[in-house]
Amino acid sequence: MKKKIILSLFFLFLLFTVGAIMTMFYILRVTSRLDTLITLHQVEILRQDLVINVQTVQSHLYTIGTSFGKEMDIIVENVATLDNAIQKCSGCHHSPELTTKINAIKDLTEQYKEALSTFITTTAGKERVERLQLVGANIGNVILEKTQEMAFIANQKLNERTIAAIKDVTSSRIILIITLLLCFFIALTIAASLTRGITEPVSELLKATRKIKAGELGYTTSYRGKDEFKELLEAFNDMSITLNENNKRIMQHLNRLSGLYRITLSFHAITNVEDIYKEVSYGIAELIDIEQCGVILFDKGEELFAHRFPAFGLQPEQIAHIKIPQDNFIDIYRSSNRRPLILNDNTALFPLGELDKSLNVKNLMLIWIRQKGELLGAIRVANKKSGDFTEEDARILGILANNVSVAFENAKLYENLKKQMVELKETQEQLVQAAKLAAIGELASNIAHEINNPLTSILGYSELVKEETDITNIMRDIEVIEKESLRARDIVQQLLEFSRKRPLEIKEININDILSEVLALVSIPLKDSNINISKSYGDIPLIEGDPNQLKQVFLNIINNAIFAMQGGGTLTAKTRMGRDSVYIEICDTGKGIPKELLQRIFEPFFTTKQEKGTGLGLSISYKIIQSHKGRIDVESEEGRGSKFAVVLPVSVRQPF
Amino acid sequence: MFDKKKFIFNLIVLAFIFTPLRISAKQDVLQEEILIGLIPEQNIFKQMDRYRPLASYLSEKSGVRIRLTILSRYGDIVERFVSRGMDGAFFDSLTGVMAVTKLGVEPVARPVNLDGTSTVRSYIFVRADSRINSVSDMKGKRIVFVDRATATGYLFVIAFLQEKGISDINKYFGEYFFTGSHDSAIYSVLDNRADIGSAQSTIFNMLVSKDPTIRKELHIIAQSEEFPETTLCLRKNISSDIKNRITDILLHMNQDPAGKEVLKKFGALKFIRAEVKDFNPVFNLAKRARVDIRGYKGER
Repeated sequence: MKKKIILSLFFLFLLFTVGAIMTMFYILRVTSRLDTLITLHQVEILRQDLVINVQTVQSHLYTIGTSFGKEMDIIVENVATLDNAIQKCSGCHHSPELTTKINAIKDLTEQYKEALSTFITTTAGKERVERLQLVGANIGNVILEKTQEMAFIANQKLNERTIAAIKDVTSSRIILIITLLLCFFIALTIAASLTRGITEPVSELLKATRKIKAGELGYTTSYRGKDEFKELLEAFNDMSITLNENNKRIMQHLNRLSGLYRITLSFHAITNVEDIYKEVSYGIAELIDIEQCGVILFDKGEELFAHRFPAFGLQPEQIAHIKIPQDNFIDIYRSSNRRPLILNDNTALFPLGELDKSLNVKNLMLIWIRQKGELLGAIRVANKKSGDFTEEDARILGILANNVSVAFENAKLYENLKKQMVELKETQEQLVQAAKLAAIGELASNIAHEINNPLTSILGYSELVKEETDITNIMRDIEVIEKESLRARDIVQQLLEFSRKRPLEIKEININDILSEVLALVSIPLKDSNINISKSYGDIPLIEGDPNQLKQVFLNIINNAIFAMQGGGTLTAKTRMGRDSVYIEICDTGKGIPKELLQRIFEPFFTTKQEKGTGLGLSISYKIIQSHKGRIDVESEEGRGSKFAVVLPVSVRQPF
Repeated sequence: MFDKKKFIFNLIVLAFIFTPLRISAKQDVLQEEILIGLIPEQNIFKQMDRYRPLASYLSEKSGVRIRLTILSRYGDIVERFVSRGMDGAFFDSLTGVMAVTKLGVEPVARPVNLDGTSTVRSYIFVRADSRINSVSDMKGKRIVFVDRATATGYLFVIAFLQEKGISDINKYFGEYFFTGSHDSAIYSVLDNRADIGSAQSTIFNMLVSKDPTIRKELHIIAQSEEFPETTLCLRKNISSDIKNRITDILLHMNQDPAGKEVLKKFGALKFIRAEVKDFNPVFNLAKRARVDIRGYKGER
């Protein structure tokens, strides 16, 4: 196109140059003709001036010395004008013939001047003077004749030149019009051709660009020109194809990375090594188009590396045979310089030898799994369907192998953690039970006293029954015995129920009832300690919770209150409804808790009861209320008493 | 910063402003005009051509318009000087003497010729092939004079002839006539329209310089003493300012390049101051020719 443009412009330049030259030529020719015409007309005017001047001087010549004669100065002036006219004529360019004639007139003029001067200045002899006048007049007449001859020649030439000039003007006009029209149309054709030559490939390019913008990568144009645009569009096509290939490669890579991410992400949730084997095997099969994939791991017990199941493309019975002695496997690892082992065609080097052959292995790749620098095993992939294994495959699987190593570590840690959690739970349960038993222990004398009363009645009525003969009385006594026995049984049942080790049981409970039951349990110690009970139960809804655990909490708090009020006091039990929680407030008027100890009361094994307390009551209570998503607020003033407020949400939703 | 465009614009504006003033000033000065007469030393047209550049130069330098007028003959110079109201004239030696004597004109300046002289002589010449070698050979021949009012073209010949014993030219020569100009007189002899001629040496030498063959064709048989060159005389009552200006310009024009150019065209080296006493040789010649200048009119 560049050449075409240059050639076109050069051609246009030539065309316009030729046009301009022709125009200039004809303009110059015409103007030259016109110049000649003008000059000829000027010459004619000069000639006329010359004639007039000669005639004027001739008239002076004839009138000198008469009454019609002019002043000498006027004559001299006229002769000077005549002389100037001749000088002008001779100053022009003429043909040799005309120049000769003009020179002749010039000479004649000089002679004329001489004759005139002589005539004017000469005196002495009328005849001589007349002769001189005649000589002058004759010269003047000759000048006039010569001038007329020249005029005739000039007129002829003027006529010829005028006709030629008109002819030239006409032909110049036609040629100029033709030239200009020709130039215009040729220029128009060239411009149209150039415009088409530029806009067509640009349009193609624009179309292709839009296609690519719309996502049609790899789109190619079909421009058939043979210019720079062809090179440009070919380069564009190459670019489009490359872009498409790169895009595919990127997408492939992204897919792999995405797959890799998905597989590695799943490792976070996997706690089972079998699941890891499965995720790795099937995940890699999705990433790379292969026939076999699995994980080989070291078996400490057998001291060899064994293929694990599940695996992609391999049956358990096939896997069962894949076992490699530790030393052999490590040798393979070392011989590969600890880099992924890729065997695309050299079957002789396959590490499993005959086994690989039996598995119909065509190409193989081992990606080493290391943990803290120690060889853990390898990911084994075999029979890539779409060609050979590449470094890219090795790199991707290398990343995966690192994650697999971490996943194994995590699984191991998780297993350990799970064990520890079970142990911890058991310990916690033991602690709770111990605390519960401790609380029961604290109540033991009271419970014994409680049981003792019905037992005493039973014993008394039993004695009465022995002595009684009247059946009616006996029956009445037996009824009392039965009643007291039932009473004792209920006490024991209550105690058993409280002390029994039971799993957490969340259900709808009435806090007021729970609190009443606990207060009933501690009624005797309260009485013995001369403690008044003040109850104020609000209208509260049923809440979700474990009644047994909550009873333990309330019992702990009330036991502490009783301990704080050794010299008597008032125990206030109050329930009320908050915005979305139930408040259970237990207040005592005991000795209170010192400020410095207030922050420590929920610490395990912290107690102020010396040998009478385990230090677990409040800490267990704290944990129980936490598991009910509630809290315990404590306010205490030394010497005046304490207030424990248990705040429980109406709905636990996700109980412990 | 210098603004070239603005500067040029200002120059143009100034030129427009001052140009009319300058022209009008010159026109005011040129309102003064003097008329200078020329004697027909040579072909009257050539004479006018010779003096025109000088008149233009004087006009330009003095601011006084110098107008020239040619006289058809020498003889009536004194009358024409008065009748045409001339302010001055370039007189030859005899007409100069006549003007000084009769009109009281004042000599101002005269040219120094290219040969360094400021004087002229009168030549009496014949054609080389005429076989006229002495006055006795002239008898019955045709003699041509310039004008009676010329020292070099007439008076010297008369004095010369009288000293040779010839007092009546009418009887001694076959024909005599006056050409009115020195070059015509020379050409008359050359063209064989006359056998003997007389003319001023400067004109003779000028023609010879133009056509050296003339020197071979003509034979000078007598020449006069030196007379002053054609002298510019101004009327006595002309403004002294104008007189001084013109005199000064003439005397110093050889120091001015433009003046030198004019002098070259005129055929002179410079102008020198002229005085009445310069004409003394002419007075002597008149005595020798027994001519009373006071009553002499120089008519043919």
